[in-house]
Amino acid sequence: MKRRLITAILALSIVSIAPASAHEKFRIIGKITRVSSSVLDVKQTKDGKVILMFMPATITVMRNKTKGSMKDLKAGLNVVVDAIGDDLDDLEVVTVRIVPPAAKKP
Amino acid sequence: MTEKHQTTGAPNPVAAPSIHTLLKTTAAAMSVAAVLLVTCVLPAEYAIDPTGVGRRLGLTEIASPTLKVAEPLPSDSALAPVVNGPVGLYPAEFKFDVFEVVLAPYEYIEYKYQLEKGATMLYSWHASAAVIHDFHGEHSGAVGEGTPEAETYDKQQRQQASGSLTAPFTGIHGWYWENPGGSPITIRVTSSGYYASSVEIHSDHTRRVHTLRPANALSLAPEPPATAGGQ
Repeated sequence: MKRRLITAILALSIVSIAPASAHEKFRIIGKITRVSSSVLDVKQTKDGKVILMFMPATITVMRNKTKGSMKDLKAGLNVVVDAIGDDLDDLEVVTVRIVPPAAKKP
Repeated sequence: MTEKHQTTGAPNPVAAPSIHTLLKTTAAAMSVAAVLLVTCVLPAEYAIDPTGVGRRLGLTEIASPTLKVAEPLPSDSALAPVVNGPVGLYPAEFKFDVFEVVLAPYEYIEYKYQLEKGATMLYSWHASAAVIHDFHGEHSGAVGEGTPEAETYDKQQRQQASGSLTAPFTGIHGWYWENPGGSPITIRVTSSGYYASSVEIHSDHTRRVHTLRPANALSLAPEPPATAGGQ
C-alpha cells in the first residue's frame, strides 16, 4: 500500500512539472513602465491600467520590422505586446513590437 | 534509570528500500507519467493526440478551442437554401446589416456572421486607411480529423473589398481587421443575406452579438417628383 502510494505521488509530481500553458491571446498596447530580465510592465494607452507580464527568455522583439533583443526594451518605450494567458493577471509575453507613439482615438 | 531508558527506547527503525525496489518504483511512476503525458497533457496543451484519447475526452478542445457565437441560432434549416438548379429558395427572411467601428492604433477586431452551408451573403466594406485583413470562416462545433477548424478566403492588406460569399460550411464567416499604424482607422461594412446574427470580437476579448434586421424593415424613400419633360 505504501509503495503504491509512493508510486502514485511520484507519477503525479512528474506530470505536474509540465507547464500549464494558457491558450488565450491578448494584445497589450501602451508604454513600458518597468522591465527586468523576466518581467515586463506596460501601462495601457486605452485605460491607463498597468499590466504585469512574465517575460521568458524566448520572446521575439521587433523594431521597425527588424528583429531586436530584450536589451532594446526600456522604460518609456511605446510597445505592442502579444501575450498568452488565462486573463490579464496571468500573462506571458510572446512578442514585443517597439512602435512610435500612437495617436488617441477621436 | 539509564538501563530502563535503554530497554524502552526508540521503536525499531524501518528498513530502507533496496536499490532494486527504488528502481522498480521509479520505473512504474515514469510509466504512469508517460501514459498521462501522451493521453492527457499533450492533447490539452499542444493538441497533439497520437492515441485519440484526448479528442474523446474533449482535451484537444482546450488547446484549440472552437470559437463559438455567444447566442447560437435556433433550428437553422430556414437559413439553408433549397437548391433548384440555379435557384436557391430560403424559407427564412432576407436580412441586412451595417456595422462601423473605429480601430485604435494596433488594435484588431473580428466581425462575423453565422451562415449555414450553402447560404449566400453579399458584402462591401471600406476602411479609412489600409488594414491587415483576413476574410475567413470557422466551423461551428467539432470538425473531423484532418479538417482545419478555419479556412481563409482572402488574406492581404486592403482598404476595401466587395463581393459575395457562399458558405462552404456551417459556421461563422467574416473578417479580422487590424490597424497596422499609429492613427485610428474607421471601418464600415454593409452586407445582406440569409443570416440571423453577427458577432464582434475585440482584441480585449469582449464580444457582442447583433440581431440583424429583416429587409422589410427598410423604409422606401419617396420617389422624386417627375420632371415636366418626362411624359
